[in-house]
Amino acid sequence: MLVTTLILGLVLGGTYALLALGLTLQYGISRIMNLAYGEFTLVSAFALVALFKGAGVPPLLAIVLIAPLGYAVGWILYAVMMRPLVARAGDAGRLDVASILATFGLMFLIQGGLLVTFGADFTSITYLDQGVNVLGVPVALNRLIAFAICVVAGGGLVLALGRTRWGLALRAVAQTPGSAPLVGIDVNRVARQGFALGTALAAIAGASIAMHQTFSATDGVVFTMKALVIVIMGGVGNVAGTLIAGLALGLVETFVATAIDPGLTLAATFAIFLVVLLWRPQGLFGRR
Amino acid sequence: MLEVTDLRITYGKHVALDGASISVGAGEMVAILGANGAGKSSLLGAVGGRVRPASGQVTYKGRDLLRLPQHALVEEGIALVPEGRGIFPGLSVAENLDLGARPRRAKARAGAIREQVFTLFPKLAERRAQIAGTMSGGEQQMVAIGRALMSAPDLLLLDEPSLGLAPIVVQEVFAALARIRASGLTIMIVEQNARATLALADRAYLIEAGRITGSGPADTLRTDPAVVRAFLGGAAVAES
Ligand SMILES: Nc1ncnc2c1ncn2[C@@H]1O[C@H](COP(=O)(O)OP(=O)(O)OP(=O)(O)O)[C@@H](O)[C@H]1O
Ligand SMILES: [Mg+2]
Repeated sequence: MLVTTLILGLVLGGTYALLALGLTLQYGISRIMNLAYGEFTLVSAFALVALFKGAGVPPLLAIVLIAPLGYAVGWILYAVMMRPLVARAGDAGRLDVASILATFGLMFLIQGGLLVTFGADFTSITYLDQGVNVLGVPVALNRLIAFAICVVAGGGLVLALGRTRWGLALRAVAQTPGSAPLVGIDVNRVARQGFALGTALAAIAGASIAMHQTFSATDGVVFTMKALVIVIMGGVGNVAGTLIAGLALGLVETFVATAIDPGLTLAATFAIFLVVLLWRPQGLFGRR
Repeated sequence: MLEVTDLRITYGKHVALDGASISVGAGEMVAILGANGAGKSSLLGAVGGRVRPASGQVTYKGRDLLRLPQHALVEEGIALVPEGRGIFPGLSVAENLDLGARPRRAKARAGAIREQVFTLFPKLAERRAQIAGTMSGGEQQMVAIGRALMSAPDLLLLDEPSLGLAPIVVQEVFAALARIRASGLTIMIVEQNARATLALADRAYLIEAGRITGSGPADTLRTDPAVVRAFLGGAAVAES
């Protein structure tokens, strides 16, 4: 029972961690609070289903196609929509307000598009859903694959940020954007890359969710909120903290669902959120 | 090497620099002296791409610098150590130095330059792994100067490197500046510490309320009665 909860919780948490990583990159590096984040996840989830059902593209191949598309969409969106906001805002507080309002609008735009295209019904695919034995616990293969994708993408990102020159430049911009031009970093370009990368991660997360979960065109808000809770729990811009907080949220939700009631998972998420906000607004691992 | 012509800088209605012209030759060390609020940082900031002037020209090796964004200047060989140092306080000393070596012009030589920086500031070698923001003011200034040197500049712009440092640390910084200068690097420096700066510089400009009010060889200025009165205090004459 406990082992089951632990394993299923970690598997769910891996998806959450990946979901939140993209949001923390977008806010930490590009300084855009993207309330339409969950919509990008959804678009990607629908794309995977459409590719699978419509064209017979295997989901794993579909993810490889969708991720770079997500990057491109994020890149263009930053250049066209976010960059003017950044240029005009001047300070961080005003940019927060401007980006929240703008992406709030964008959220309804994308949601409307999804509703028109795919309708309001729940969608899912059946793909590799046979059980696999993990330490005596049967776990659906598609969930394990989704988890593996999260580990590879999330781990790759942590390594890239921590160990490469490119990652160093991203961290420099995230921490002290005002000093970045002094060492020849084009902040605008890095912010665009950060936003695009965040969108690519949203797309990967959405596609891996679509492999094993049922969803509908109005679920974007839930994805955004969960990602936001994790980002704040992990500390904004703290990649390692986000990964841990994501896994923790998966564990808590699974525990609440099995031990208490599946209907209470969302309530549990927000209870944690409130406690963190009141008790440690800088995140579980933040200093200050 | 550097020509600043008729530079005018305004912040809203406030005129910070009102038609300043200066020039810096290759291998020279030129100081900008002036009281608080005279416009020294604005002038240096305009050369370093941080401040956008309202009018005027800045040409460097014949190229119009005002057409370039700030981040492109490092690649041109210009390194700015701004007021307040502009380091990355959340990153380690080694990471700060690595970031300094980003420009293409510096990459190939990064290893050799790093050795030079460590010879200049042995403390940086000892404290490689320390988070820069946890260092003392003097050590942070060393990180800032060291990081600027890592970009293999031809022109080093320094804005009050001794600001807020204890006298003994100021001496240390000026000793390092003397060695940097001896290496032949062109330097433009803004300083309150006029005595130590004039002892090191070739020439200086005096700036008052946004205008250049005087200039000349550092040796001459050091004994100029007006300069002594304004910047050096009465003791300077007796000393020199
Ligand atoms: N960002 C800004 N916005 C508004 N006014 C500014 C700004 N920066 C500088 N000023 C004003 O322009 C004038 C010149 O400033 P500047 O920083 O160039 O002087 P400074 O000679 O470097 O002074 P200090 O010795 O105090 O560093 C000052 O009156 C200052 O108040
Ligand atoms: Mg100044």
